[in-house]
Amino acid sequence: MRNFSSRYMRLPLLLIFAGSLLLGGCGDQRILEQVGLIQTTSYDLLPNGELKIAVAIPRVEAESNQEREVLRTSAPTSKQARIQMSRQTSLQLVSGQLRVTLLGKSFVQAGIGDHLDTQTRDPAISPLMKIAVVNGDAEQLLNQRYSQHPRTDLYIERLLGKESDSHSIPKATLYEFVRDYYDDGIDPVAPMIRRAGENIVIDGIALFKDDRYVGRIPEKDAMIFACLHGGFKQGELGIRLRKKEKSTEAVVLTSLVSSRSIKVTGAGDKMKVAIDMHLNATVSEYIGGDLKLGKPRDLKKLEQKISAYMAAQAELLVKKLQQAGADSIGIGSYVRNHMGYPAWKKTNWGERYPRIEVHCKVKTRINNVGKMK
Amino acid sequence: MPTVKEKLSSFHVLILIYMTQTGVVIISLGQMLAQTFGLNGWLALPAYCIAVTVNLLLIGLIYRMGQGKSIFEIMEQRLPKALLAPLYLALTAVWSMLACLVAIEYVFIFQMIAFPTTNPVWFKLVIDLLAMLLCVKGVYTMSKASTVFFYLTVWMYPFSCLLFHEFSWKRMTPFFFHEGDFSPMGMTGIYTAFLGFELVMLLFGYVERSAKLMKMAIWANLLVFASYMYICLLVFGFFGFGELQHMQFPLIDMFAFVKFPFIERIENMLYGLLLFTMLSTMSMYYWSASEASGRLFTRVKPEYRGLALVAGTFFVGLIPDTLADVNVWLTWLGIAEICISFGLPLFLLALLMIRKEKGKTAHA
Amino acid sequence: MEQGQQLTHILQQFDDCADFKHIAYPELNVDLLYFDHMIDAGKLSREVLSPLLSVTENEMASALARLTFTIKSENKEIVVAILSGSAALFHGGQAYIIDMYDPKGRAISQSETETTITGPHEAFSEPANSTLSLIRRRIRSSHLKCIRLQVGEVSKTDVYVLYVADIVNMDYVQELIRRIREIEIDAVHDTNMLVQLVDDKPASIFPQFYTTERPDAIASKLAGGRVVGVMDGSPFAFSAPTSLFEFFISSDDYYQRWSLGTATRILRFIAFIITILFTGIYVSVTTFHYEMIPQKLLLTLSESRSRVPFPPVYEALLMETVIELLREAGARLPTKIGQTIGIVGGIVIGQAAVQAGFTSNILIIVVASSAIASFVMPSFIMSASIRLIRFGLIVLAGIWGNLGITVGIAFLVIHLSHLTSLGSSYLTPVAPHKPGDWMDIFIRAPFKLLGKRPSQAKSPNPVRMKPKE
Repeated sequence: MRNFSSRYMRLPLLLIFAGSLLLGGCGDQRILEQVGLIQTTSYDLLPNGELKIAVAIPRVEAESNQEREVLRTSAPTSKQARIQMSRQTSLQLVSGQLRVTLLGKSFVQAGIGDHLDTQTRDPAISPLMKIAVVNGDAEQLLNQRYSQHPRTDLYIERLLGKESDSHSIPKATLYEFVRDYYDDGIDPVAPMIRRAGENIVIDGIALFKDDRYVGRIPEKDAMIFACLHGGFKQGELGIRLRKKEKSTEAVVLTSLVSSRSIKVTGAGDKMKVAIDMHLNATVSEYIGGDLKLGKPRDLKKLEQKISAYMAAQAELLVKKLQQAGADSIGIGSYVRNHMGYPAWKKTNWGERYPRIEVHCKVKTRINNVGKMK
Repeated sequence: MPTVKEKLSSFHVLILIYMTQTGVVIISLGQMLAQTFGLNGWLALPAYCIAVTVNLLLIGLIYRMGQGKSIFEIMEQRLPKALLAPLYLALTAVWSMLACLVAIEYVFIFQMIAFPTTNPVWFKLVIDLLAMLLCVKGVYTMSKASTVFFYLTVWMYPFSCLLFHEFSWKRMTPFFFHEGDFSPMGMTGIYTAFLGFELVMLLFGYVERSAKLMKMAIWANLLVFASYMYICLLVFGFFGFGELQHMQFPLIDMFAFVKFPFIERIENMLYGLLLFTMLSTMSMYYWSASEASGRLFTRVKPEYRGLALVAGTFFVGLIPDTLADVNVWLTWLGIAEICISFGLPLFLLALLMIRKEKGKTAHA
Repeated sequence: MEQGQQLTHILQQFDDCADFKHIAYPELNVDLLYFDHMIDAGKLSREVLSPLLSVTENEMASALARLTFTIKSENKEIVVAILSGSAALFHGGQAYIIDMYDPKGRAISQSETETTITGPHEAFSEPANSTLSLIRRRIRSSHLKCIRLQVGEVSKTDVYVLYVADIVNMDYVQELIRRIREIEIDAVHDTNMLVQLVDDKPASIFPQFYTTERPDAIASKLAGGRVVGVMDGSPFAFSAPTSLFEFFISSDDYYQRWSLGTATRILRFIAFIITILFTGIYVSVTTFHYEMIPQKLLLTLSESRSRVPFPPVYEALLMETVIELLREAGARLPTKIGQTIGIVGGIVIGQAAVQAGFTSNILIIVVASSAIASFVMPSFIMSASIRLIRFGLIVLAGIWGNLGITVGIAFLVIHLSHLTSLGSSYLTPVAPHKPGDWMDIFIRAPFKLLGKRPSQAKSPNPVRMKPKE
């Protein structure tokens, strides 16, 4: 232990160590206040085939009184657009904080496969980035200032987040979208939004077939779609059980817990798909009906009514999906798992899907009816 | 110092081998399995585990027959040193190059993700220096460092339970091994993920009597297998086969999904933490190379040997300059290493059976 | 005459020592030599001076017989004895050495650096005999052995090595004694200096001996099978072998309920992580990994950064330096002025720096919390080491972000793995793996689970508590 010479032999090594560290860094610094943190991007397809791209960047500097910066350009690809846009700003544009991508209707109709490839290739982009389709021009929606709401990009992000938490729109992050896109048994979906005067509203659900937009589900059916798409733990649903001519019998269910299972039976052309849904809910409003919810028998009746109504609506919705050719609820993956591998490979699912027979069955259970009898 | 040279205990052997085996490959293993074995490719992992166990049993046989003597002693007691010199040189070359390439692979991946314009040579230099500092201190210190590295990285596994809600068995499909390309290169590539266990051969002389070396090596391999199995299962159910085929580093993408109120994008920590497992692997290979070369250059101090090996491979390591190149090199070296892992024990076995120790009579 | 020669020789040695006393009684043929500030004056007059006044030369033999003395013949020994606080009485050609040593040290007072809320409050003071008495009062066993050594060619400082026979591993004792004997230095002034002379790795940033001024801590180390060293002139005692984790333990943990002790201990490990990493992560995230910031924090963070003219590394280093300046100034000044420094530093500099746009709010919070966290360490020496490490990690984070931090940690781990304390691993019980000790390291388990002595002590008698039947 008194051998000092061997101990200090390492000193030059440490110097190299420190030196190489100092020389090595610095090139890739992205200091927080010097980068333009793109929060929202929008994509539209121009008639000439070029992309119209806009990005929104929040600004917080004391020197600028703007709370955000919106840059616009048109270019053949999104990365080229990035290069053009960086010429317009004093900040270094980065996409690591990208929260929302808005896809214009024109853009999604043409198919977005290449675009998805670009997005997933970039290691900076978060898989938790939300995707939304704009019914209209995405750039205009983003560029608009909505005076009674927070900063537009924040407004959109919070709106989407809140709505998907209550299951009235499906969760569509980059991860989910790309995962469903590559999976051969399911097609991706995305929420749809549109501008309505001084507000932005949820405009239903955009359906995709592979990477192409093929149709939309109106927002009133969104809850039924959510039940079909998969189980959820917390939801709200208003149902109009139209029975009599004059008064409307309506019920509102809260604390909705839904689960669904899909069963495939038969083979070949006789293949049948049965979707079983279980709903568990609390009644928070019941008007216009003559059922006494305090009575167990009447409650059973109500449950049956709801079940019948839901099953009919669900079947209608599935029909609609089949017509659009979008397997958004993933029937394909159940059919695939039911068939053998060679049979699945032989089947042209895209062609088979619209013709397959689908039945929906709903079982409703009402936990409680509130404080009143 | 009067204290006796400390030897490795069972637990340290376990962790040391586990950390040597676990490498950067873990981040792309899911993709490799999907590409090579197709649907539900993760089910191919048990086969690899069995192959490694067989290999380990072979090494265990040497351990028992050689009565715990180091493999170099076994060879040198039976063959003249001049005959062994080329073998030692080859071992040194393969092991030190493997160590170097493991680091290059890590550096390239890391550079792509976080530091696209920085010259990777700087990263490599610093990592090499760390590995050298570690490997010249001997296997006992390395095992202690590996233990700490193990505790620093193992929390990744409990964290992954945050991903369970996106996991779905449905995505697995009930089909097995369809659509794989079954390429030999891909298969060896996956086998390299398990490599590192063969270095247990060099630990023969360094282990406590009571520590059941071979048992621990087999346990370590099972641990590696379990962790790989878990990660790959998760990756298959998280992304689905279709997407997995298109990804390069599914594990990184998967951890990018994890989000906490105070921090997001955990993958930025993950590839930092991978440095620890990589360092263990790397230093273990450098140490093995240094042990092998020490048999030839007995008078050179281990510090200088380590320095020479790291410096030498550093310059060779400058040649491959893309990730694809590195992967090709790694696969070839992996093949060489697989040959060593099977060939060397077989060679030793033959020696033990055929030739008696020099200077000992047959009935002694 | 022989006595005259010896006496002259010794008197020569103490030439020009104004504090040296030489009392001669020519009629009795007695010479008395001593340093009056080192001896107990009352004892001297009671036991030596007054009997001498009442005797004649013939009665001297019987008078001397009543004293407790040793007879030394070597000049060198006599000189050393006088220097160590004995009175030398020359009579009839012989030197009687009468031990009168009574150092006038500070009274036993409260511990300043390691305060506890519950438990004993007394601390060691500088004289070794008071330290030894505090220890012996706590361990009343003849097995408590005490070996005296001397260090320093000029200072001749007494160093005592203590251990409990049958519990300690004698390898450690012998190793420590060997190392202390090997020291060749002019003078040693404090225990913390002494231990650096016997360190395994003097170049390391980590202390390799556990130093404390708490007698209860030292007693528990002794009972735990460790070796303890005490140096005259220093209020600190040290124990060895030690490990990194021992520095996270405070005596308080054992005096509180086990659940509280455990919580505090976990808190200290969290504090350790905060201290070394928090500022580094701030720098790394704001310089390289902006994508790791959650959206809710993003605006706050970039807003507070937007006015700062420096890159995050410089900003962080600047603030850390200011905090260290405050700490050092506070430590050097008397307590009352020290408080003023706290106010000036905390409010004026902190508040003004942010308002002037010199640093960001968030950084002030980060730096302050990591500074506070560093003071949670019970051992001052360890806390200072950790603070220094933090600077290294900040620089690394500024250069390479998260990779820099990981490289730094890897470097630390490699260093720690190689570090030893008296030849035993510094990372015990993590590496080597001793899960039995974890109960007393990472948590403070109830006493019935702490039945074994720490494995690092390698005690031949490891059972501490008899398990209840």
